[in-house]
Amino acid sequence: MPAKEFSIYMTGVGGQGLVLLSNVMGSACAAAGVRALTGEQHGLSQRSGSINVHMRIGEDIQSPLIPVGGADAILALEALEALRYVEYLKPGGVVLMNSRVQHPVVETKEHVRDKTAKYMSAETVRSRMAEVTDKIAVIDALGIANKAGNPLTENVVMLGAIATLEDFPVPIESLKQSIAANVPAKAVDVNLRAFDMGMQAARDMLCNIVKCRE
Amino acid sequence: MKEGPGKAFLLCNEAIVRGALESDVKMVSCYPGSPTTEILDTFSEISPKFDFQMEISANEKVALETCAGASMVGLRSMSSMKSVGMNVASDSLFSLSYTGIKGGMVVVVADDPHAHSSQTEQDGRPFGPGAYVPLLEPSYPEEARRMTKRAFELSERHGTPVIMRTTTRVNHQSGIVQLDNLQRTPFKKLSWGHPPGRFVTVADSARKFKAALLERTARIQKEFESSDMNVVKSTDSDLGIVTCGAGYNYSVDAGRILGINPSILKLGTTYPLPKKLIAEFISKLKTVVIVEELQPYLELNVTAIAKDANPALKIYGKWTGHFSESLEYNPNIVVDAMAGVLGRKAPVDYAAILTKAAELKKGLPDRPPTFCPGCPHRATLHAVLEATKGMKHILSTDIGCYSMSFLQPLEYGDSLLSMGACLGVATGMQYAAEEKVIAMIGDSTFWHAGLPGLVNAIHHNDNLTLIILDNEVTAMTGQQPDPGRDYNAGGRPAKPLILENVIKAMGIDDITIVDPYQVRKAVGPIRESLTRKGPNVIISRRACALYADRNKRRRGEVIGTNKVDKDVCKRPYTCIRSFHCPAISIDDADRKAYISKELCDRCDVCAKLCPYGSIKPREGE
Repeated sequence: MPAKEFSIYMTGVGGQGLVLLSNVMGSACAAAGVRALTGEQHGLSQRSGSINVHMRIGEDIQSPLIPVGGADAILALEALEALRYVEYLKPGGVVLMNSRVQHPVVETKEHVRDKTAKYMSAETVRSRMAEVTDKIAVIDALGIANKAGNPLTENVVMLGAIATLEDFPVPIESLKQSIAANVPAKAVDVNLRAFDMGMQAARDMLCNIVKCRE
Repeated sequence: MKEGPGKAFLLCNEAIVRGALESDVKMVSCYPGSPTTEILDTFSEISPKFDFQMEISANEKVALETCAGASMVGLRSMSSMKSVGMNVASDSLFSLSYTGIKGGMVVVVADDPHAHSSQTEQDGRPFGPGAYVPLLEPSYPEEARRMTKRAFELSERHGTPVIMRTTTRVNHQSGIVQLDNLQRTPFKKLSWGHPPGRFVTVADSARKFKAALLERTARIQKEFESSDMNVVKSTDSDLGIVTCGAGYNYSVDAGRILGINPSILKLGTTYPLPKKLIAEFISKLKTVVIVEELQPYLELNVTAIAKDANPALKIYGKWTGHFSESLEYNPNIVVDAMAGVLGRKAPVDYAAILTKAAELKKGLPDRPPTFCPGCPHRATLHAVLEATKGMKHILSTDIGCYSMSFLQPLEYGDSLLSMGACLGVATGMQYAAEEKVIAMIGDSTFWHAGLPGLVNAIHHNDNLTLIILDNEVTAMTGQQPDPGRDYNAGGRPAKPLILENVIKAMGIDDITIVDPYQVRKAVGPIRESLTRKGPNVIISRRACALYADRNKRRRGEVIGTNKVDKDVCKRPYTCIRSFHCPAISIDDADRKAYISKELCDRCDVCAKLCPYGSIKPREGE
């Protein structure tokens, strides 16, 4: 019986380490004998723009792109970016989103013009997403990364969060080995700590509504 | 690079490099261009450990010619470029197809449907039939690795360069790849050994080469008829799909989503096409759907073949309106088109999902790509905007990160065509327009294709000012070294060319050099230069922030951050207007500027713009 298919729509802002995250997941899959493929973005759009990676796990999947309405989960390293790709989420799919908002320069430009304008908040994103799913975890990934010891591990906190899900078909040990192999040697410990803390955070928020690993 | 055998999770571009290494490639030369850049980057990164020669060339034409020279001698060579790069290189490709080569030569040419990071959605496949060069098209990383090896064998067997054509969603797809053994032979120069004129094509020799290449193409076509690079999946359905490249991936998933099991012909050899194989495939069908991005190349050929092979065949594709020649495909586009052909509803109502999503996204601000925190281009553009206040002008810009100035929030720039085009276009503008004409180009693009345009402008005494944004590297594609650096691929030492020396030697004495980080000080000299008669040159010189940061980290230097002293800030927003750094936003609580500690690069430019001096180093936090 092949592993269940699982598609994750991963999003964020250029520079947040999304490609590293997909490499860690993909290498873990290769090591665990689980078939994985991704559709990635490189080049122009990386420059502080909105970015996305389609991560697909499953024996029979051929398309690196997830169809609209086909993602089991959205993993957003930045809050607004979760909403930007909401059409990819399956009805009732899981949303794991960072609570951090990076205000786009376009929005700030509007703020200078309009003194009454307010930035779109993570809470607004959460409440809009709640119209299509009840499985949402808003994670203070930056706060957790700082506690783990390095703000740059924000992406690995979010990886830990998704690894909590029982349906995510990659063994925890493979993920940890893959983290160790893909980050600089001196940063392995802090990244593994961030991973564990991310797992715990998602567990606290999600496991009463979504099946989590034991 | 791991030793084989084994498995690894690789980007398709890495899988192509793997295939080339397993093929014992000995010469690599490329100019970076998305979506092929990681081919160059991977070769460059591993080159100190392998005995192939490598150059990051000044442009794609030189890159292709470098490979041509090495392959004439007899070495195996590889180049990679985006399709617009092949436009530059194709002058030599067409001739090289005539002369042929000795050592295997493979050129990866990548198209960018959707123009993710390109100026057009060009379809590169016409280079195959146009130049009589075989085209291979993989769909996924493992196939790309295997196909690269086949491409070298094919190239050497028939003495022709071979193009491996990809698209963004093939290049930038990662997957699990089989690793074969790396059977490398030691690098060795070979003796020329060819008779005089062997690679000279002109007049009589061209006519002889042409006859020979037609025979060669016929031989290759015959070989492709039974090649396992073309994959036929026969089912008992009278519905079939003919597809290639990325289209194959979406076709398979669309079949699963629709619960149908059509026969599929996946073409890996798209020039010369295996016409008999296609005829045989379509002869058993009532209906065929052509799934290919961009131009209806397969559709045209299948339609022509069907005229004899199966005149009653119903052919669906772009000509029937089921697919578009615009934009890239995805699984739901193919599902909807197939459902349309079958006259049934798709199992998922994609339009309804998209409508609901649009409703949820109301008020969500766009996030187009923009200059990084610390980017010197942001400072240069701010200074140019200040310097040109009240000065009617046209900005003829070029290809690079600075191209983004035409996007929100700056929306500055009037024309952009292709690498190096800013100069030729500016020459025409200064004849035709009343306004001052400014051309803008980056250092790497200037070396690539700007030089002839400047030669022309100097020779004709054209009245234009050229601004060169010298950030030391080819920044847009990942900070590869350009001819201004003292190193090249794999860190090999190289001779740096000095912009102002070259330009001075070309005949321009009016050269103004500014530091964009000294943003206020730069405005005056820029304005003065722009008011003088051209041709003259402004060089705005400061390293790409990402490149400078990488070097700082390597040296163990701390990259500081700034903060806004809220007691001093009087909300003039000079740090935001015409500057728009992603690290700076407005605090909704007091509407004063706020600098993100996580994003600030401490270029200090905003601090220099603030009239109250409210932006200060963040210390002890």
